[in-house]
Amino acid sequence: MDDDTVKLRDGVATAGLGRESDASGEARLGQGEMARRRFLTALGAVGVGTALSPDWVLGKDVMVIPNAEGFLLVDMKKCQGCGTCMMACSVAHSGEVSYTHSRIQIQQDSFADWPNDIHMAQCHQCPSAPCVTVCPVTPVKANKPNPKFGNVRMIDPALCIGCQLCIGACPFVPSRIQWNDSIGKSQKCDLCVDTPYLGAKGGPGGVQACVQACPVDAIAFTPKMPEVNTEEAYTTDLRGPVWKKLGMTTE
Amino acid sequence: MALFGYAGKILRLDLTQRRYMALSTERYRSWGGGHGLASALFWEFCQDKTITDGRHPANVCVVATSALSGAGAPSATGRTEVTGVGVGYDGINWYTRSGFGGRFCTMLKYAGWDAIVIEGKADKPVWVDIRNDAVVIRDATGLWGKDTWATQLDIWNFMGVETGARAGWVALDDLKHASKRAAPDTGRTTQKPAIVAIGPAGENGCAHGSLIHDAGNGAGQGGFGTVWGSKNLKAISVIGTGSIKIADPPALLRARNTLKTKYISSYEEPDFRAWTRVGGLAKPLTQAPIPTEDRRPQACQGCVNGCRARSNLGYGNESACQETYWYNEFIQKVAKSPEEMGQMSLKVADLCQKYVINTFLLQPGLPWLEHLYEEGVLGPGKKIPSSLPWDKLGTMEFVEKLVQALSTGTDIGKDLADGFVPAARKWGREEDLHTGLLQFSYWGCAEHGYDPRAELEWGYGSVMGDRDTNTHCFNFMFTTVSAALAYALPIRVDAKDLVTIQARKLAPYAQNRPEVFDFSDRNMYSEAVAQLVRWQQHYCRFWKNSALYCDLKWPDLINTNRPDLEGATGSDDAGEHVFWNAITGENLTLVSGIRLGRRIWNLDNAIWTLQGRHREIVQFAPYIYETTYEKNELFPFYMWPCRNEQGEWAYTDLMGRKMDRKGFEDWKTIFYRLEGWDTKTGWPTAKTLAELDLDFVTDALRAANRLGKEETA
Repeated sequence: MDDDTVKLRDGVATAGLGRESDASGEARLGQGEMARRRFLTALGAVGVGTALSPDWVLGKDVMVIPNAEGFLLVDMKKCQGCGTCMMACSVAHSGEVSYTHSRIQIQQDSFADWPNDIHMAQCHQCPSAPCVTVCPVTPVKANKPNPKFGNVRMIDPALCIGCQLCIGACPFVPSRIQWNDSIGKSQKCDLCVDTPYLGAKGGPGGVQACVQACPVDAIAFTPKMPEVNTEEAYTTDLRGPVWKKLGMTTE
Repeated sequence: MALFGYAGKILRLDLTQRRYMALSTERYRSWGGGHGLASALFWEFCQDKTITDGRHPANVCVVATSALSGAGAPSATGRTEVTGVGVGYDGINWYTRSGFGGRFCTMLKYAGWDAIVIEGKADKPVWVDIRNDAVVIRDATGLWGKDTWATQLDIWNFMGVETGARAGWVALDDLKHASKRAAPDTGRTTQKPAIVAIGPAGENGCAHGSLIHDAGNGAGQGGFGTVWGSKNLKAISVIGTGSIKIADPPALLRARNTLKTKYISSYEEPDFRAWTRVGGLAKPLTQAPIPTEDRRPQACQGCVNGCRARSNLGYGNESACQETYWYNEFIQKVAKSPEEMGQMSLKVADLCQKYVINTFLLQPGLPWLEHLYEEGVLGPGKKIPSSLPWDKLGTMEFVEKLVQALSTGTDIGKDLADGFVPAARKWGREEDLHTGLLQFSYWGCAEHGYDPRAELEWGYGSVMGDRDTNTHCFNFMFTTVSAALAYALPIRVDAKDLVTIQARKLAPYAQNRPEVFDFSDRNMYSEAVAQLVRWQQHYCRFWKNSALYCDLKWPDLINTNRPDLEGATGSDDAGEHVFWNAITGENLTLVSGIRLGRRIWNLDNAIWTLQGRHREIVQFAPYIYETTYEKNELFPFYMWPCRNEQGEWAYTDLMGRKMDRKGFEDWKTIFYRLEGWDTKTGWPTAKTLAELDLDFVTDALRAANRLGKEETA
């Protein structure tokens, strides 16, 4: 990662908020993205000894991050901008409703025209998982795939040291890692694995609060990983013939 | 103890002294929020409750949220209530209300505030900048004169907020012009500040000035844009990063999911013609088709089915319903195609959103002005001088100049600045209120399109209240049935079943009394209809105006998405109270909410009484009594369930009748008696106020010698 993107704030290393990728929202993976079925990364990038767990380390300098078994897809041409998903997300996780603490962000500009008036920003459960690789916590990372729940990338608040490096490491804008200022920790989408207030089984194989709550079904869960890690690949057409009958495009 | 559902603080702004203070919401908790909270705050802080013009410096304007705002209740999360003494009616402008949707209330809650009390008058234009608990009253000299969209974009720019939907996280302290704090504000957001602003109409004191938030969320009725303008208040901007505690989160999510899966038409097996309020599909409420498929539905926060749209057209975003309709009668004379008509109606709506005209006034107002022009009374060099291009009525050129005149108080806008009915008097056209040429049916307020001679609950509710009631609890029966007949669509529920099913939910006043829906000539002045009006007004005062459920979605009394046709209202799995209780931890029922609405309604009546309300002036415009109802804007008939002489129910055309003065006087006596008000004056009585725990109101009315007397046997 770029050292100049880290700044000190009150003596704590924090990721610069303006550090995220370009406004197009395109990921800055580049450099020949590795095979999508298993992601190998050089530990040297974050320092030897910051492994996820011994099982995931190949040799000295390379670790394997198993792919997640669930993903959220969105339809940015269908979203009605009601923010219900954000509220459902935050309340399912924390029992409180908040935009700031929602793991999915719906952004709007009321004065822009369709389709650029809305942006749906959901975690991609990236195969490369830069938010995982950057996590400096040892001996076990605070941010890591959880094999019990389909390798969903999850941040353990008990281990998170609040360094915010993961926030800056996320290749998308806005960062899909949130800063939870009420507890001083980072947080991210866990596909509703850890949702004490959901009232239902979450995670892969269960329900996701945002998918369940969306009034127009503009968010979908899929176990199939998109071919590439771009916003376009994580965007799909969920409109169908009904949408056409309502007078709106399915193109 | 956590105050579930509430932010916990109320912002009290003193514009005269340019200072503010925070009040605890806890003290006002019993009012629920929204209108109830606002009326309580108005009662406490308005030092002269006899004022009758909202432009008076003593007026207090309250902007209020509810426990449901920003909390995720369906079609109850995004509405903001506005109250105060209004502007632009006839003589006495009552203490009144308006409201707007969008995301302002959610952002206000997340910033930590449940309401804003606006008092006094700034010595020069200001806007209010709220960033969590930091509140700054800023100079708005550079914003004065700008339209509402430019104002909002300028404020975003002032704060360093970029346009466009995509943006990174930003800490509030990193925004431009952040207040210096003792401790840093570490809250972050990806969202844009929510701003509500006035336009030139409000600035120039024109009675029809409205409030606009984002592109098309407007509070038009009541003239609150003009109220703000009189206080030199251009805008309020808010951005927040906090959260709202929910008492029973799983119950909230469960009820929300139940509503979606049980009561709302699905996108897999849609019913495009379902008879329901909350259970429809997302669809814009424009009267003319939006001339593009490249669009989405656009919803207020938390809404189950957005009723507006954003498209790729470059105009018309977020406009729907009335603002897209009022000029169509004239557009259709010049438009060469339905597509052109759709284009023009949306462009006209944009104009009104930017310059902020309450277009309801123009719905009956412009046809009247056209008549004056055609009569030769109005126009260049005429008795009512006007240089507007009246020969181009229906064109964009005309409407642009009309809006300009109305916004700046020039041309005919000068005489219309106090309202249409005062202008009619000034122009010697009072007779038009007798002939029905000027259809302002109650309190100098524009007729909504649902004429009191046919739609009784709308008319009675308006005249017993403060303005056009604009509550669609039962009105969908007219629109749905009439549309079915007009377009040869199936009648999904026959009249008897419709009234029977709906009446099941009318506790505490009319449960299982379907006769309350009988609007036939023989029943129009009955106790039954009075009970229906009471139910609607009390239901709305709490569930719609205070809890802030959307008027267009609730109540859901009947629902063809359900095999038993039972709507969601009052249900134990997705009724209004279910969401309220899940969020607040209270134990309300539909009925206890209605009773709370009655308490709020009585506080309002006490304010009206102090302003000068008396039974004698509670009257419709003369034409309602003197002429028959012959023309509806939407259909050539006005269908409503009625009983015939044999007691059989049928959908019946109510066109062609008028209101009987004595009949209405008798009805008023019935209504006042049911409400526990003095039947001679309409004023609240001490006994009723005591029942409602409003003894503090009794003292004020007694001191003003306007306390109602108990009826003697």
